[in-house]
Amino acid sequence: MRVLVVEDDEGIAAGLQVHLRQLGWAVDVTDGVASAWHALCAEPFDVVLLDLGLRDGDGAEVLHQLRRAPAGRLPDSATPVLIMTARDQVTSRIQSLDTGADDYVTKPFDPDELAARIRALRRRAVGRAQPLLVCGALQIDPAARSVRLAGQPVELSAREFGILMALVEVRPRVLSRSQIEAKLYNWDNALESNAVEVHVHRLRKKLGDGVVRTMRGVGYFVPEDAA
Amino acid sequence: MIARRSLTLHLMAWALGALLIVWGGFVVLGYRTGIHEADELTDGHLASVAMLQLSEYGSQFAAREPITGTPVFSSLKSHEYQRSMSVVVWDGTGRILMRTGEAPEVPFKQDEGFETLQLGNPATAWRAFSRWDGPRHERKVAVLLDATERDDLAQDIAEQLVEPGFWLLPVVALVLGLAIHRGLRPLYELSRDVDALDIAKMSPLRNRYEQKEFRAVVESINTLAGRYHAVLARERELSNELAHELRTPLASITLQARALRLVEQGPEREVLLQQLERDALRSGHVLSDLLALARASRTDMADARQALDLDEIARQEVASFGQTAHQSGHELALVSPGAFELMGHPVLLGLVIRNLVENALSHTPVGTQVEVQLDPQQRWLQVCDTAIHPTPTPLQPMPVGARLHEAAADASLGLGWGLGHRVVEKIAQIHGARFEKIAAPPGFTSCFRLSFAPRSALKRYA
Repeated sequence: MRVLVVEDDEGIAAGLQVHLRQLGWAVDVTDGVASAWHALCAEPFDVVLLDLGLRDGDGAEVLHQLRRAPAGRLPDSATPVLIMTARDQVTSRIQSLDTGADDYVTKPFDPDELAARIRALRRRAVGRAQPLLVCGALQIDPAARSVRLAGQPVELSAREFGILMALVEVRPRVLSRSQIEAKLYNWDNALESNAVEVHVHRLRKKLGDGVVRTMRGVGYFVPEDAA
Repeated sequence: MIARRSLTLHLMAWALGALLIVWGGFVVLGYRTGIHEADELTDGHLASVAMLQLSEYGSQFAAREPITGTPVFSSLKSHEYQRSMSVVVWDGTGRILMRTGEAPEVPFKQDEGFETLQLGNPATAWRAFSRWDGPRHERKVAVLLDATERDDLAQDIAEQLVEPGFWLLPVVALVLGLAIHRGLRPLYELSRDVDALDIAKMSPLRNRYEQKEFRAVVESINTLAGRYHAVLARERELSNELAHELRTPLASITLQARALRLVEQGPEREVLLQQLERDALRSGHVLSDLLALARASRTDMADARQALDLDEIARQEVASFGQTAHQSGHELALVSPGAFELMGHPVLLGLVIRNLVENALSHTPVGTQVEVQLDPQQRWLQVCDTAIHPTPTPLQPMPVGARLHEAAADASLGLGWGLGHRVVEKIAQIHGARFEKIAAPPGFTSCFRLSFAPRSALKRYA
């Protein structure tokens, strides 16, 4: 999952980066309104964590502009946005949610709660209510980052898990290599030319050939009747 | 709960009270006028009958028998106001020539004119008019009317005059009530508008009242609502600032602590520990300034003023930031021509300088020049810097594919501008001074000034 953190406090931004990366998510950080907007215009993100009191303006302006963006191009106006701010007044919450925020947490917050809220946002964004992803004999628990195949646990690396989640969440849609990369790697990661192919190869070895399929010349997908 | 009295009822009670008094006056006056006019009318009738008798017969009256009074036949009465008059005719010697009606015998007198006589046994009052036929005094006529009958007539006429008043009074009261209710409609509208006034949303009273009497009230209410809204907004702003200043380092500490659990020994762990330490110090600074703000809010501060030299305080405070400014790569300086005498609180004024310098150092990039300037003549203190402060930029789409990563934010050891300046504002208020952002002098980009009252005002302040 690709997460954009818009936060001007270095401590919070650094702490969030460590915590969210530990969960296997690709995390990018910007510290202002203008840089956040540029980032959203440049890359697709699965979730945006947005602070309101930024050094060059109000984060609500980013949210407002994002929701008014035209569909079908970047920035993606449907990107889930979670407000994380020190403003704890009810009016501020109402205003943010009415402007288009999907969730709201007040600082200081529990890092695990934040992660759970991000997962819930992602679930809602892909139209799924259940916390567990079930795809034939394959069962994925995003919170525990665990995978079971026919009831047996399967050990996956963070990247393998990320690719599997990305494909299962949108199944049976086909994702191109660059789309998968955009979900797995942040700006700081150095990309190898065949990194995705290598991880898909390992996934097939662990899960069998029936789960992740290749559409030659297009990309990868997980069929509805996988495994 | 206090029982509210109705202004409408109050007004109606007063109006009806006034109406009753005036109405009562008219009734009494009408009654008395009725009595008076009825008396006049009766006297006129008596005089008319006397004149009629004299002009009809002149000196042709001859004595006739009997000369006792003849009864008046009730069958001859043909009008409600027709009275039973008696007539007596004498010759010049006082001999009765004719006597009609039921009046008792009337004593003969030379005088003529109107009078009220007590006649008969028992005596009853009779209104009488007597007149001679001319200068020769050959005949004298007296016309009489029972005073009771006359009073009945007067009473009847007076009552006829007054009666419509009693019937009309309730109607007038009803109309008056409706008129008051209708006349007070603008007041009801104003009352409803004031009641519906939502100060939190700052929707002022609509200026739809044509009555000039309401203009001052509406303007005053709007002014008060505006002030109240401004206070609410400032409180909200302060609350936001406090929340931001306190919650942000706490959130950072929480995340650093969690990250420390996840990170192995090494440089990354060291960075996290340093950040944790900075956040803890930052929280401490925020708490110190919150305490200062609380102290500055105390009303007994006015009792602890003393004569002081602001120049000396500024030198001490600026000197205390020497190491900090050096470490953060700032050029910190003091420009002061000498002693700056003032009545005030040295601790609080030191806090002012500390906050302004700390803010300037914390929120400006490396290499910024920060200068504390004092002018004892103009009686101000200001802190200026040369930083290029960020301004909000309009959001524009950026080409896809651009990879951005903004430089890490500079570490912030002090307060945010908001809370720090709030402390300065409060202390300025205590010293009767004004705190404001002014146009930066040449060579600087930003400047905050604390202007004290002129020397002439010092005695008043002291």
